[in-house]
Amino acid sequence: MKSRFFRLTIDLFVLLLGSLSLLAPFIFPKTTSPMVSQSSFPIMVSLIIILCLLILFIEAQTSLLDSKMIAFMGILIATNASLRFLENAIPGPGAISPVFFLIIISGYYFGSRIGFLMGVMTMFVSGLLTGGVGPWLPGQMISAGWVGQFSALLRPAIKKLNWQGKFGEIILLGIHGAIWGILYGVIMNLWYWPFIGALPGQGWLNDARLAINLQRYGVYYLSTSLLWDITRAVGNIVILVALTKPVLRIFDRFNRRFTFQFGFERER
Amino acid sequence: MKTTPAWILWFFTILIFLLSTRNPSYILFIIIGLFFVSFRLFKQKGRDNWIKQNLIFLSSIILASSAINSLFTHSGRTILFSFPQSWPLIGGIVTLESLVYGAINGLIISALFLLFNVLNLALSIKQLTRLIPRAFYPIAMIVTISLTFFPSINQRIREIREAQMIRGNPMKKISDWLPVLAPLLVSSLEKGLILSESMTSRGFFTSKPSHKTTFPVITMIIGAFSIFSGWILSLYSYSAYIYLPLYILGVTMIFLVLNRLGKAVKTTRYHQEELRKYDMLAIVIIILVILFLSLVSIYGNLTSLNYTPYPSLVFPNIELAPFLIPLLTLLPIMLNHHDKN
Repeated sequence: MKSRFFRLTIDLFVLLLGSLSLLAPFIFPKTTSPMVSQSSFPIMVSLIIILCLLILFIEAQTSLLDSKMIAFMGILIATNASLRFLENAIPGPGAISPVFFLIIISGYYFGSRIGFLMGVMTMFVSGLLTGGVGPWLPGQMISAGWVGQFSALLRPAIKKLNWQGKFGEIILLGIHGAIWGILYGVIMNLWYWPFIGALPGQGWLNDARLAINLQRYGVYYLSTSLLWDITRAVGNIVILVALTKPVLRIFDRFNRRFTFQFGFERER
Repeated sequence: MKTTPAWILWFFTILIFLLSTRNPSYILFIIIGLFFVSFRLFKQKGRDNWIKQNLIFLSSIILASSAINSLFTHSGRTILFSFPQSWPLIGGIVTLESLVYGAINGLIISALFLLFNVLNLALSIKQLTRLIPRAFYPIAMIVTISLTFFPSINQRIREIREAQMIRGNPMKKISDWLPVLAPLLVSSLEKGLILSESMTSRGFFTSKPSHKTTFPVITMIIGAFSIFSGWILSLYSYSAYIYLPLYILGVTMIFLVLNRLGKAVKTTRYHQEELRKYDMLAIVIIILVILFLSLVSIYGNLTSLNYTPYPSLVFPNIELAPFLIPLLTLLPIMLNHHDKN
């Protein structure tokens, strides 16, 4: 109980600090320093996000990871990173990506920590493989991590509704996938939006009220990203509806095999 | 220059310089230097394509940035043309100064983008993985396993896909991909199971670490919050005497925790990178340049770093001391010329 409370506190802190750094232009708009509109802003946001990730890593690697989990996560992440390379082969518009499918399903089935690690590490490993290491990577990592982490919230809801193994489970996962398909884009735009010179009425304004900057960001998002993100959301729904059931069955089978305990571990 | 410490020091020196200057001359020289370095690093085919793609991307960023700034910022004295005042937002004068200011913004983004690209070219995946601190040993292990299994999983995808296409699966709908995903997942997880058994039988990480996480996690949280608070205070232009101690406190706490956790991990040293003569030389040169610039900034006045084209455009001033950084960009080329091994 104590450890669950501790883990929840850490999750909330990371969520709060990560969101505050991403939402800094909205929450702290009356900055007197021109720093927000300079190149150091996205780097500082990335740095704070890296610190948030480090906190969760320390907690997860001591409470969750043993040799079985390390091997399981390593292989699952390699599989998901490979799926990222399949994006071009899979039919449909460019934004459709099978990457979020395994992140959502892992978070839903194995819990928030595995879901978070799955999202974070998939982005990191595929960043290394594609040469995509840059200031944008921490933002991608934490956003994908949140996708996995929030998927775990569906588990108790579905259990309560007694929808396990029923079509309702798939529908709820599909809705969740659609919402995060959009939210991922909304979050990813935040780290550079105040810095980039956007079109009229879409750029960040120093000294403006929260509502005005939110409105400007909304216009920016609608005109530059919404269409792309809707495609991703639809892609998530289609992939989740088509593939959830068989993949959950595979997870069922392997969960039993991966969670066995060795005799000497029980003795400890 | 071949080893990770030399490249990382080089990378951070240029990164911090790029974040602290708005002088287009220095930034332009750094971009040219980075292109030379990437040209030298790229030995395989595809170099021309890489450089062409980067050039197109960078010029589009600079063009877009200058166009947007000049259209919507109506400041400056050198008027190029004007739009009728009745036109919403873009109505007013378009000045040379606002055009240049936008181009400088574009130059900074381009230089940052190129710098990260060069780092990706310079360091192998193995070197990048080794940058993960020892305190995150299990996480680094997950990354290593993923990178090791990635090629074989990719090969497996190709095999399953070919087998499905031979059987007449058109692979046109998303549901057609289920016969690929399901066997792929099963075979990957079987591999994971075999790996976990062999890791356990070799006594690797058989149980979760015995030390408590509460203290390190709480210290990390306080450290992260200190850095965050320092950043917010600096955004509000508080005195450096207030936000700098917060930065120092945060960095020290995080460093101490990672150091303590790292020491608790016992690791063997396999294929350790050896710091070679020219890498040592590179590190010494970079440290000397940093020290020299720090002394000059404390006792002198590096005015050329803070360039602004407003109110009227003047040619950016170039000082000898800050110009050492654009020269430093070329350091890998200079040393590689001598270091043939």
